[in-house]
Amino acid sequence: MGPPSVTVGIIANPSSGRDIRRLVSHASVFPTAEKANMVQRVLAALGALGVPRAVMMPDLTGICANVNRAKGRLHASPGLAWPELEVLAMPNEESIRDTLEAVARMVEREVSVIVVLGGDGTHRAVAAKCGTIPLATLSTGTNNVFPDLREATVTGLAAGLVALGRVPPEVALRRNKLIRVTSSSGVPEEIALVDVCVSNLTHIGARALWQPETLSELVVAFAEPDAIGLSSIAGLLRPVSRDADHGLYLRLAPPRSAGLLATLAAPIGPGLVAEVGVATIEDLAPGRSIRLRTSTGTIAVDGERELEIAAGDCLVATLTNEGPYTIDVPRTLSWAAANGALHATGPPQLSGSAHRQRMLADADTGVAPSTKEEMR
Amino acid sequence: MTQLSKAQLLQAYRTMRTIREFEERVHAEFATGGIPGFVHLYAGEEASATGVCMQLRDDDYIASTHRGHGHCIAKGVDPIEMMAEIYGKVTGSCKGKGGSMHIADLSKGMMGANGIVGGGGPLICGAALAAKYKKKGGVGVCFFGDGASNQGTIFEALNLAAVWNLPAIFIAENNGYAESTSSTWSVACDNIADRASAFGMPGVIVDGFDFFAVHEAAAEAVRRAREGGGPTLVEAKFMRYFGHFEGDAQTYRGADEVKKLRQEKDCLLRFRNRVTSSGEVPAGELDAIDKDVLALIDRAVAQAKADPKPTAADLVTDVYVSYS
Repeated sequence: MGPPSVTVGIIANPSSGRDIRRLVSHASVFPTAEKANMVQRVLAALGALGVPRAVMMPDLTGICANVNRAKGRLHASPGLAWPELEVLAMPNEESIRDTLEAVARMVEREVSVIVVLGGDGTHRAVAAKCGTIPLATLSTGTNNVFPDLREATVTGLAAGLVALGRVPPEVALRRNKLIRVTSSSGVPEEIALVDVCVSNLTHIGARALWQPETLSELVVAFAEPDAIGLSSIAGLLRPVSRDADHGLYLRLAPPRSAGLLATLAAPIGPGLVAEVGVATIEDLAPGRSIRLRTSTGTIAVDGERELEIAAGDCLVATLTNEGPYTIDVPRTLSWAAANGALHATGPPQLSGSAHRQRMLADADTGVAPSTKEEMR
Repeated sequence: MTQLSKAQLLQAYRTMRTIREFEERVHAEFATGGIPGFVHLYAGEEASATGVCMQLRDDDYIASTHRGHGHCIAKGVDPIEMMAEIYGKVTGSCKGKGGSMHIADLSKGMMGANGIVGGGGPLICGAALAAKYKKKGGVGVCFFGDGASNQGTIFEALNLAAVWNLPAIFIAENNGYAESTSSTWSVACDNIADRASAFGMPGVIVDGFDFFAVHEAAAEAVRRAREGGGPTLVEAKFMRYFGHFEGDAQTYRGADEVKKLRQEKDCLLRFRNRVTSSGEVPAGELDAIDKDVLALIDRAVAQAKADPKPTAADLVTDVYVSYS
């Protein structure tokens, strides 16, 4: 059993997976019901490990409502035990501010791990507030680079093992890189977990970028050759892993124009393999700043236009090693396998009449199951 | 994802400003008792009608709603004739016999405001089917609200448009409330746009307070329809500034809700801040448009008040259409 104070936070962004990429490309649609199912799978894994408490961000679109309904039906599934689940009592604006506020409250409560369901944008918002609390990342859709596209039960197990201290942090955690975008005078404007891209489009508009001819500069924290999105341009030329301590800076140009380093076909969006011209590419060491050349246009962070450049502005991108900690799920579970962290000990658990009676009694009194000894 | 020229930016601002001024004035005039019937105002929603209709030609059709003034203005219907129509005068768009909820102008492709919630969907399928037969790249756009999104007519229209691969665009204007019922309660799925997948069409959500977001999404949806790619559902999320109808006490809304929206989200304010800070348009040119529009609406109201009403004999005209 973990110490009673151990709490896992859960952020599930209700609005991820709905933007214009559903129209301009064939990006996946991720229904709320599936997000709610994923949360339940995470809770089942946390509960099975004996994590005593979980707190969740509220939403008005039905994720929490679905999860709460399932909680009310738990007595019908005697093999399942959840942590005691609390939905944060906080105002709901149905905007990114909800995520920022919920993470701030989770930090205040000193949660051990935050499980995040969303895309690159959701993870960026969480990263802005989570400090050194490790994140267990889950991609809701196929359109993301930073979070893992993985079965939630498995991520939930890794999150639980880390939260309970059953796998050491030096094994389980990775410190990520981060790109800060600041004004030339140093005023912070935005952060990016994957890439910063300069576009000549003058307005944020529908946010996504999908036309390569509008792109001029690209800064990436890491570049995986099997990634989707803008960072794939760099990844297909000079791969940089998440663990490498440098990033890359690329200048882009019209495909097949004179003097290019390369013109390559890159999957810049789901279903969108486009020709992109790369003029220069160079390593970017942590702490080094790149003064972005543009004076008009927009800056996209992790693929979405977020900053409109006002006339006369000058922006600077700086790579740092101060990104969020994330749980490396394969590494965590490999260590768990090698060290028997999931070996069953003690009497058989999660079944039998005593357990079932207790769950039914808890359901009748409206109290969430709190005793984990029998279940472990 | 086209870049807008300065002329287009000015046009967008003029259209949004005209809608706003028109609605604010109707709001004020309605309270004095001078306007017959019911009016439902579009203030706060200007970016939606404007962003969509700027992508359309005169031979493209739109079907509107009971909250139709903004769609009319954005599609090019004359605000002077509209005001006369609302006042029930013979100089109105429909000779004073339609009123606020039935303003139509087929020469501009405006098939009519519509008192029937969800009535526009089937209409626009007809218009889109005609456009498909004519093969001139025409499209039909159905504006409907969150209340209408729960009506069978809209589901039928989405299905028909998908089955026949019609050049139709469905713009769900989710303004927060169906009369007094919150859409977060009454729409069973989380987003109206999510329903698109059930009909095999793309569904996207845009910030309906942001002209540029609407304009971009509409551009892609219209392009897709013109090129034979079939229908699209776009959900614009925003909140209306006035009640469901004029006279609605709005007891279902928070006390500062509208005040906050006007300060933080307003589409005109955001547009102005953006195009002036980017250096695309000097503020003075926007101020000049404000003045022009004010004068136009002053004139529209003065003329509407002075113009004559239809006579009893007009009751039996315009009842049947001759196809010969």
